[in-house]
Amino acid sequence: MIVVAIYAARGVHDQEEPRKQVIFIPKTLDKTNGFWTSLIEGSRLGAEEFNMDLEVVGGLSEEEVDEQISYIEKSIEKKPDVLLVAPCSYSETANVLKKAVKQGIHLVLIDSVIEYDVATAIVATDNYAAGEELGTYANSLLEDGKEIGIVAHVKGASTAIEREAGIRKGLGDKANMITETVFCGSSYEKAYSQTKKLIEENSKLGMIIGTNEYASVGAARAVKELGLSNKIKVVGFDNSIEEIKLLEEGVFQGIVIQKPFNMGYLGMKQAKDIVEGKTIKKNTDSGCKLITAENLYEEENQKLLYPFIEQE
Amino acid sequence: MRKGEKKRTLFGRFKTIQGTMLVSFTVLMVIAVVTFMIIAVHYTNNSIYENSVNYTTQIVQQVNYDIDSYMEFLENISYIVSRSGDVSNYLFNEKQSEEEKEKERDRIIAQFETIMDSRSDIYNIAAVAKNGRTILNDGQDQFAEYINIYDQDWYKEAMEKKGGMSISSSHVQNAIEDSYKWVITLSKALVNYNTGQNEGVFFVDLNYRSISELCSNNKIGNKGYIFILDDKGKIVYHPKQQLLYGGLIHENISEIMLSNEEHFVSGDRLYTLSKSQKTGWTVVGVVNTEELFKNNKKAESMYLIVSIVLLTGVLLISSVISKEITKPIRQLRDSMSMVEEGEFEKANVAITTQNEIGSLANSFNVMTERIHTLMEQNIYEQSQKRKNEMKALQAQINPHFLYNTLDSIIWMSEAGRNEEVVLMTSALARLLRQSISNDKEQVTIAEEVDYVKSYLTIQKMRYKDKLEYSIDVSPEISKVKIIKFALQPLVENAIYHGLKYKETRGNLLIKGYRDGDKACIVIEDDGAGIPEDVKAHIFEERKVEKGRKGVGAPNVQKRLQLYYGTEYGLTYKDREGGGTVVVVTVPLLNRPDEER
Repeated sequence: MIVVAIYAARGVHDQEEPRKQVIFIPKTLDKTNGFWTSLIEGSRLGAEEFNMDLEVVGGLSEEEVDEQISYIEKSIEKKPDVLLVAPCSYSETANVLKKAVKQGIHLVLIDSVIEYDVATAIVATDNYAAGEELGTYANSLLEDGKEIGIVAHVKGASTAIEREAGIRKGLGDKANMITETVFCGSSYEKAYSQTKKLIEENSKLGMIIGTNEYASVGAARAVKELGLSNKIKVVGFDNSIEEIKLLEEGVFQGIVIQKPFNMGYLGMKQAKDIVEGKTIKKNTDSGCKLITAENLYEEENQKLLYPFIEQE
Repeated sequence: MRKGEKKRTLFGRFKTIQGTMLVSFTVLMVIAVVTFMIIAVHYTNNSIYENSVNYTTQIVQQVNYDIDSYMEFLENISYIVSRSGDVSNYLFNEKQSEEEKEKERDRIIAQFETIMDSRSDIYNIAAVAKNGRTILNDGQDQFAEYINIYDQDWYKEAMEKKGGMSISSSHVQNAIEDSYKWVITLSKALVNYNTGQNEGVFFVDLNYRSISELCSNNKIGNKGYIFILDDKGKIVYHPKQQLLYGGLIHENISEIMLSNEEHFVSGDRLYTLSKSQKTGWTVVGVVNTEELFKNNKKAESMYLIVSIVLLTGVLLISSVISKEITKPIRQLRDSMSMVEEGEFEKANVAITTQNEIGSLANSFNVMTERIHTLMEQNIYEQSQKRKNEMKALQAQINPHFLYNTLDSIIWMSEAGRNEEVVLMTSALARLLRQSISNDKEQVTIAEEVDYVKSYLTIQKMRYKDKLEYSIDVSPEISKVKIIKFALQPLVENAIYHGLKYKETRGNLLIKGYRDGDKACIVIEDDGAGIPEDVKAHIFEERKVEKGRKGVGAPNVQKRLQLYYGTEYGLTYKDREGGGTVVVVTVPLLNRPDEER
């Protein structure tokens, strides 16, 4: 009788729920890339906290779309419960991800979206809201009568369109001071040259707004080099050491940065809610933050600006 | 008395002792098991909580101790450098020539380099003075152009502090050009010996990882973690710092800072604190209580299952035991009901136990035996009594009849009617022999009829033509038993009370036949009949004649019914056309004669 009792008790003891399998394929595993390192770190913490098994796979470059597709295909074979993907391409990864969904794998898109609306959830920065925050700040900076030039990254890119629309909303009545929008094709050099051209052609130009890291840094370099930091305000997006330095130097008046750690963590949270069968909000905004010279070294902003990338 | 009454209401509902025992056992066991479970779970909870607190306290204290000894070690290095005089000399001695300054600087840098080479966890060693003179690492690194060093927290804190080291929280060191590293800064004010004032700061930047790893390497359970707060409540290290700032999780820092306890529970978390005097930091261990008691949930369900299995087992066994215990009682009960029904032979209880019930059964057996014996004795005595009564009741030959018969014989022999004398004397002799010889209570109907025949032979000789009789008994019933002297008194009655009063010849008819399971003998006369007032009391004993016992109908009736039961006996009827009919019924199949 006692033996039976012990066996029964052991039976209960052995009943461990199997952990849910999640595979995350970020755009890059490049350890020097603070954004993605931080994002992966966030997802790992999420996995730990929600008791899920997380495997992170991927290539080292954001440009290698084919490599990412093959990683996605290999992951589908492993039949995870949830697939977290930050697609490198809007169109090229769409088919393989559609296939994954057809095989019953839940798809959570991180940072970027794809052509087809097949994902169970999307966790990304709300670019419109980020643009609006920067636009509102720009509105407060702009001197009367001065005009605004926008250096956008890629013509037709969804992030560029959403951010610009947000900026215009944030600028409010000063939106009509935007005289021109130029495109730099995500190149420092082109952004630099386009900015120079803008400044030379418009004497009333009092502000330049960059829509991503390349556009912002390129514009700031031009302004710095022309020695017009006092005359022309520069605001932009994203986060890099160069941007921080330019912010410290006073070339940038402000930058809006994303919250990659939160993005990774929230991606896992969505994954958890999906496997638990909870109803979830399809779109999750991981948030953004306006950084200025004043709040640059505030306790909470340091972690956002300087993720723990491999220190030697 | 009251107690007994109370008990009856408590246990009186149960129909069997077995049920009472079973239900009582069940209730007691359930109470015992539940009590045990509550205590066990409570005790397990407490011990889990205490173990967790002890374990976490150990870890947290160890981390704090590690940090302290690490800091102490670095402080010692810092003291050696800052007190050597070289640094002060270089920063504040205005009398030195450029050449001397250069030499002094090289010496200091050599010293700095030695330290940095031996300690990979040190990122920067530097000294800055109010007067703008600085010395940094290997001399190649530059201070950042756009950063005001004198505005940095670690600089201000060191300047304000009177002696000793200041230890910063974790931060990004932005004062060094092109290097944004996460560090913890140990800073110490430098005194200008000329003025006696704090006019510069010496600082060492530690790789933040050397602290964070001390914490992140110490895991507490699956979801537990360690974090560090500085004396102002700022976070030095927290594994989920970003989530904290992002508002995705919440840590009750103000409660920790205000707490005087070494551990407390807030929400679903158990906080264990260890504050360092040296660094002013508080190392906090966090344990998820849900996780803590998750194992306990398992323990609880284990307890539950074990209890249920044990309970079931105990109940099964106790039902068997109670059945076994009450088995002799039930046997006793069954025996008693047999005794109630009078089956004494089967009522003997087999004694299987030596306990109270065993002795009870023994007593019962003895008692039953006694009762049985007494009853048998009683029955024997009763039957003896009846026998005696029967004997007493058996009619003796009427003495008057004997006198009369003898008178008749005398009278006939005087008259010389020898043939008649012989006939009557022989009939009388037969009559007497029949009445005396047979000791049995019953005789066959044929024998009884023979007896009546002898009697009638004598009477016929006395009454001559006044009496005519015929006997017709079916041979079917001739072997049927009937008590002795049942018919003769009735025939005598018919002659003396019926025919005797008739002027003409009286006829007497005796018939015997079978009626179902009864044998019937009818004695019919056409005499005077029985007057109504006599008929009503015909079976009541009375003095019929002077000097003669009432040995008539009541006697016969009583004996018949005593012997065969009340459904048998005599029935009197009026005969059509005058006279009396009496029917004697006896059972066809008679019980054997009980001769003891």
